Amino acid sequence: MTDGSTGSRGRRPTAALAALVLAVAGLLAAWQGLRPDRPGGGGPEAGFARDMSVHHAQAVRMSFLVRDGSEDERVRLLAYDVINTQSAQIGMMTAWLDEWGAPKADPAGRMRWMAGHGGHGGGRAGSGGGAAAMPGMATRDQLARLEKASGRDAEVRYLQLMIAHHRGGVAMAEAVLARTDHPRVRRLARTMVDGQRSEITLMTDMLRERGIRA
Amino acid sequence: MSKSARNRAQRNRKNVLTKREVPWGGIAFFTVIGLVAAVAIGYAFLQSRPADAAIAGLIEKDGLGQDHTTGTVRYESSPPMGGDHDPMWQNCDARVYDKQLRNENAVHSLEHGAVWITYRPGLAADQIERLSGKIENTDYSMMSPYAGQDAPIIMTAWGKQLKLQDASDARVDAFLRAFVKGPQTLEPGAACSGAKDAA
Repeated sequence: MTDGSTGSRGRRPTAALAALVLAVAGLLAAWQGLRPDRPGGGGPEAGFARDMSVHHAQAVRMSFLVRDGSEDERVRLLAYDVINTQSAQIGMMTAWLDEWGAPKADPAGRMRWMAGHGGHGGGRAGSGGGAAAMPGMATRDQLARLEKASGRDAEVRYLQLMIAHHRGGVAMAEAVLARTDHPRVRRLARTMVDGQRSEITLMTDMLRERGIRA
Repeated sequence: MSKSARNRAQRNRKNVLTKREVPWGGIAFFTVIGLVAAVAIGYAFLQSRPADAAIAGLIEKDGLGQDHTTGTVRYESSPPMGGDHDPMWQNCDARVYDKQLRNENAVHSLEHGAVWITYRPGLAADQIERLSGKIENTDYSMMSPYAGQDAPIIMTAWGKQLKLQDASDARVDAFLRAFVKGPQTLEPGAACSGAKDAA
């Protein structure tokens, strides 16, 4: 041992330095490979952020329509809540995509990150049906009828469309929870599942008050 | 002293005497590590860059006006790449229009981060269908015919334009990825629905 210590005096710091450099390089490589905070543009996190933004945008649109068509304070307040919550969440998800350097559009098709879901594999959708390929989305026709409706008719249409919309949203949020460990994505998806479930209960009650079972 | 120990002692003496020799081993080792690091960092940098720099034939324009006006605007290009526009944006929620749009409404959609695909009337049906498929899958995009444009297909975002001969050009996807709600967007977060719905 003593022989070795004097003999490799010159080599020892070099070896230690080399080990350190290797360790750092290894860590960097692992970080690059896993990228815990920077999911790729094709991953489930980016796909969820893109598709849920489209999904949310329609909920915001429907909520504006019912606020224009209804005088009912409770429905109007619910719609006000949806507009603010979901608009803000679109902003959060857009900021993720900016931060990850991921594109905001995937021309290859929607919902590819959630492939296998109920036969909606994304891909090529029929004319005007692009939006309907996402779970719970209303068709352009349904939106047009909601836009023309007023009073109780508008409220019932809105509640029915929004219950289906929220169910689809919950399914999408649960799908990303099953596919990612990203903490911020998980947290927002969790709040979507809980918040939209509770609103489904609320809207089901509102429909029942109007004599309709959801 | 054993033979091996003597050998070691000799080597050690030699090391002391030749201490100032250039440490080629160390240099080679760190050069390799450095190269690996440079390649990894370069790769990560390229991965994180938006694709817009890579689109061949991209036309760009700065200094476009963005005031609202209900009047008719004279735009410098056809279709326009930006400029003053109507208060009503054209709905750009993955929408395929079969009639020509009013420039002043469409330009407002560009301000909101939309990509607008226009085609020369008479474009082959399979070309139109291929592009329609892209649009219907892409929120914040819209398509319409445009009489008199100087290429069969033109893609436009605010201050960005790309002229194409064929709908199967790989740059269609590249342009959509780069500019749908891209960095050129003047009003990030603005809507693509709720305004002008008919052509």
